[in-house]
Amino acid sequence: MKSVRRDILIGLVCLALAIALPIAMPGRYVITQSTLFFIWAIVVVQWNLVLGISGIFSLAQMALFATGAYATAMLGFYWKVPMLAAIPTAGVITVAVGMLIGLACLRLRGPYVALLTLAIAQVMYVLIVNDTDCFTTVGGCMPLFGGVRGIGQFGDIGLRALFPSKWYVAHYYVGLALLAVAVTISIVVIRGPLGLAFRALRDNPGYAMSRGISRFKYQLWIFAVSAFFTGIAGGFYAIHFRVVGPTVFSFSTLLFLIAMIVIGGLGSIWGPLLGAAVLMLADEGMRELSDYRNIGLGLLLAVFVIAWPNGLNGLNGWLQRSRASRD
Amino acid sequence: MTGDAAATPLLSCRHVGKSFGALAAVRDLSFDVGAGEILGIGGPNGAGKTTLFEVISGLNPATKGAIVLDGQDITRHAPEQICHAGVARTFQLNAGFDSMTARENVLVGAYFGRSNRAVPTLRAGRAAHEAADAALEMLGIGDRADKVTGKLPVLDRKLLMMASAMATKPKLLLMDEPVGGLTAREVDRVMDAVRAIKAAGVTIILIEHVMRFLVRLSDRMMIMHHGEKIFEGLPTKLLDDRTVVDVYLGQGASDRLRSFMENTHG
Repeated sequence: MKSVRRDILIGLVCLALAIALPIAMPGRYVITQSTLFFIWAIVVVQWNLVLGISGIFSLAQMALFATGAYATAMLGFYWKVPMLAAIPTAGVITVAVGMLIGLACLRLRGPYVALLTLAIAQVMYVLIVNDTDCFTTVGGCMPLFGGVRGIGQFGDIGLRALFPSKWYVAHYYVGLALLAVAVTISIVVIRGPLGLAFRALRDNPGYAMSRGISRFKYQLWIFAVSAFFTGIAGGFYAIHFRVVGPTVFSFSTLLFLIAMIVIGGLGSIWGPLLGAAVLMLADEGMRELSDYRNIGLGLLLAVFVIAWPNGLNGLNGWLQRSRASRD
Repeated sequence: MTGDAAATPLLSCRHVGKSFGALAAVRDLSFDVGAGEILGIGGPNGAGKTTLFEVISGLNPATKGAIVLDGQDITRHAPEQICHAGVARTFQLNAGFDSMTARENVLVGAYFGRSNRAVPTLRAGRAAHEAADAALEMLGIGDRADKVTGKLPVLDRKLLMMASAMATKPKLLLMDEPVGGLTAREVDRVMDAVRAIKAAGVTIILIEHVMRFLVRLSDRMMIMHHGEKIFEGLPTKLLDDRTVVDVYLGQGASDRLRSFMENTHG
């Protein structure tokens, strides 16, 4: 129970600081970058459930994020679905796609899961980019998935109309609220029976099955649970940037998000969030370096994997232990 | 006990076979286990003892024959269904969820092991927590509940496996070499644990190479060789069987075991 109380405390402190930020630092750049941080943090927190808690090396999370973003955009563009309905629908579609990917990975282990999921993401990317046939000619030639240019003009959640000059602050708070819900759900999952099943299957699948845990069922649960908010984050990304293009599949974004999880601490509750914050700041610092940015990211990742495999979160535990041994 | 087993077998294996390609690890094996008894299984390495457990627990299903538990055919059931039907198993290697605490290990058995959960609840609930604590207490490792499993010593890990098995409320417990690698004093500790489990009404099948452990606990014994049964009967009759002495025990070990059994029984 003590650790649950600690989680609630950390969560509330972070939330209070985040609520106060736009008042303390009202600059537009800081606020829009923080909104982007919220979006990546949602993805990273959900990805951690698959990668860290369940030990399944799925690289499909960005493809799921893209699924959510594209589903939102296409629902709005082709069927004129209002965005407030399109985003949750996109979440459900992402769950379905996530479960399909989970099903495909059921018989694979370790690096093979990474290979298959990366291949799925790449195939999606290639299919979208190479499709040049006009699906509709309303407002110019437009392939089904928008091709290289992507999809735009699919609607908005209305905050731009409501707060014409301060809409980005409104989006900041929407992002924050989504992140708060996503983190709460991840904590409930990690601390509850689902997390118990995921961790048991990670530690020893055969033993877990002979203690009554169905691998088939809980692998689908893992992918379903982690897909929903990833899809919602994708939808929010779509309306925030007003355009969805194939850049969401980019390898550097994937690397960026994986680095957040690893540097923060794979499998821990707050590690991925911490890692996301640290990397967003580090990325700001490396912005001037343009192409060298990915190299810096890769180096940082390598150093952590070799020297601190438990990430910043593990560093914290190590500090506590060394302090305890000194006392 | 032998009579009871014939009347109401809890587990009945009928012509069970397990082949890996051309290699038959278990061949046409038939035996019954009566409710409440301890069946001890011995035999040389590679006799198919652990494979038999793999087959009964569903991790590696049988290629031939039928396994019936309490009137229910479980031959083709998935491992988790067999667990829910009431068969729990401990492993030869010290299986455990190494990154989790001892209590969480047992909680897995208490929460997931008893029946199928269509949709898991948000919290494990008081009943499962209490069952987990009771199982830890029963095996005498309640004080290690918050320790991380991977850091526990061998004896504690073996007891923890038994605790998580007991948390599933099994009818039948399959124990694969529960005292392998333990000291004499630790073997006594496990022996007490097995007796306590039996006293709780659980039927047990034991695989063990430590014959002194096996003959003292078993109500009946079965010796396997090359996937087949070469002996089934009371432990006291074991040393009268020429094949068992020749194939498995050897003359020297048989003589030492005979004097050990005469001392403990006399």
